[in-house]
Amino acid sequence: MLNLEQQIKDAMQQVAELSDCQLVESINPDTLLLECGLDSLGYAMLVAQLEEDLGYDPFTELALDTYPSTFAEFLAMYQQCANNQ
Amino acid sequence: MQSLFNQLKNLSSTGVITAAGQHNSIAVLITKAEQVRQQYPQFYQRSIAIQYTNLADFVTALIAFDGCCSAIYLRPPNVTIPHNDIIDWPLESDAAVVDSMPSRLKSETADVDSVATTWFMATSGTTGEPKWCSHSLLSLTANTKHSQKLQALCWALLYQPYRFAGLQVVLQALLSGADLVDVADYEPLAQMAFLKHADVTALSATPSLWRQLLMTGQLSELTLSHITLGGEIADQSLLDTLKRMFPNANVRHIYASTEAGVGFIVSDGRAGFPAKWLKDQTLTVALKVSDEQHLLIKPQHHICQSLALQTNALGYVDTLDKVQVNDDRVLFLGRATGTINVGGNKVHPEKVEQVILQCTDISQAKVYAKKSALLGELVVADVMIMDAVVEQEVKQQVLKMCKKQLQRFEIPTKINIVNNIDHDPSGKLNRKPQHD
Repeated sequence: MLNLEQQIKDAMQQVAELSDCQLVESINPDTLLLECGLDSLGYAMLVAQLEEDLGYDPFTELALDTYPSTFAEFLAMYQQCANNQ
Repeated sequence: MQSLFNQLKNLSSTGVITAAGQHNSIAVLITKAEQVRQQYPQFYQRSIAIQYTNLADFVTALIAFDGCCSAIYLRPPNVTIPHNDIIDWPLESDAAVVDSMPSRLKSETADVDSVATTWFMATSGTTGEPKWCSHSLLSLTANTKHSQKLQALCWALLYQPYRFAGLQVVLQALLSGADLVDVADYEPLAQMAFLKHADVTALSATPSLWRQLLMTGQLSELTLSHITLGGEIADQSLLDTLKRMFPNANVRHIYASTEAGVGFIVSDGRAGFPAKWLKDQTLTVALKVSDEQHLLIKPQHHICQSLALQTNALGYVDTLDKVQVNDDRVLFLGRATGTINVGGNKVHPEKVEQVILQCTDISQAKVYAKKSALLGELVVADVMIMDAVVEQEVKQQVLKMCKKQLQRFEIPTKINIVNNIDHDPSGKLNRKPQHD
């Protein structure tokens, strides 16, 4: 089983190819999500793809106080949701 | 009703428009509009199509032609005008227009500002051809408010101004004497930079655009006092997030459609609207729920001709929006027509299906919506394929075909190969998803 971070990165790559987006070369914990190369449609597709792969959607399941803006925050949100499963 | 020109002339003070770093005071644009009227007296009582180039020129044209031309068409890029007898603005060449006009019209300019102008706006139709819906300045400004406090606001324009929601923002800012900053053509991070620089205090956007602004992590740096959501279903979690971030702001969501004009505003911070409104006769629009659970509305103003078939004997228009009454609340469920709303963009499943069916290896296709917490809905396709075809190749073929012929938000985000596609007893495609 891949770790969550790798799964998210793989899904990002997959979505980028499908939606004609170009991902930035390296995505670090503090890379801003809106600077990763995916646009709003790309992120909506990413969340849908991850829901299919992982079986949950944090944007629906968690009452979000703040929206994630960096990759680390995005990952943390998925980790929190995974712990709740 | 007074023309836009006269209403603005009568304001005690007017605001400033900022677009791409350029500032234009409305007072100057009024003077420019006056010059346009003097320069082109032959436009009196003619129909004119305004092609959008930039916000200042667009606003100047609106001020010049409302009350002067019989019809204004707000023409989105790449949309053709409905008939030939319409002046194309901005003019390609002055000489061409002047020569083709009867000269007697030039003497009729004394009556300028007496014309009740019909405003036409385009909405996307099922076939891809735009549908033109008529409005009046009165109906377009039914929800426009004026006050000292509103005059001090700085509005951000995140919508295209030739679309219904964008025009609402432009008219609200203009007629309340507020400032307006155009950020419609930028990415969220660039938008945030402009919004912060201009100290924007009032912002109207679709729920999807709000979520994108939240993802910048910088929205809380603004001091917003007026927050408006529209164009998509506003969900409770987003309303709560915005209220938490801006506890003193007036948070409201608007129900409206290009076809029916302004609907109504909900400002109690809850999704949907109060069920008691279904019985309230004092509202500007009367509301009902049909037996099929569609929302019916009866506006006070004139209803566009194109809605005649959707209007019942009592004057109620079927909005084709599905609703559900839950105790004291009426909640929106989506479109009864199967139309998919991707972040405020309308997608007609029939159109996408027709493109997919051009692929030779596909025998049947069904396109429908999948819920998305970020964009409201996404487009998904189920397809049946001919025997002995490699699945992956078919998916590639479909995507290639769609990318050629459809806009990005219309392209299926997921293609499922299925063995069977449901039909209703009547033989019509059943567009409900078959599997989760």
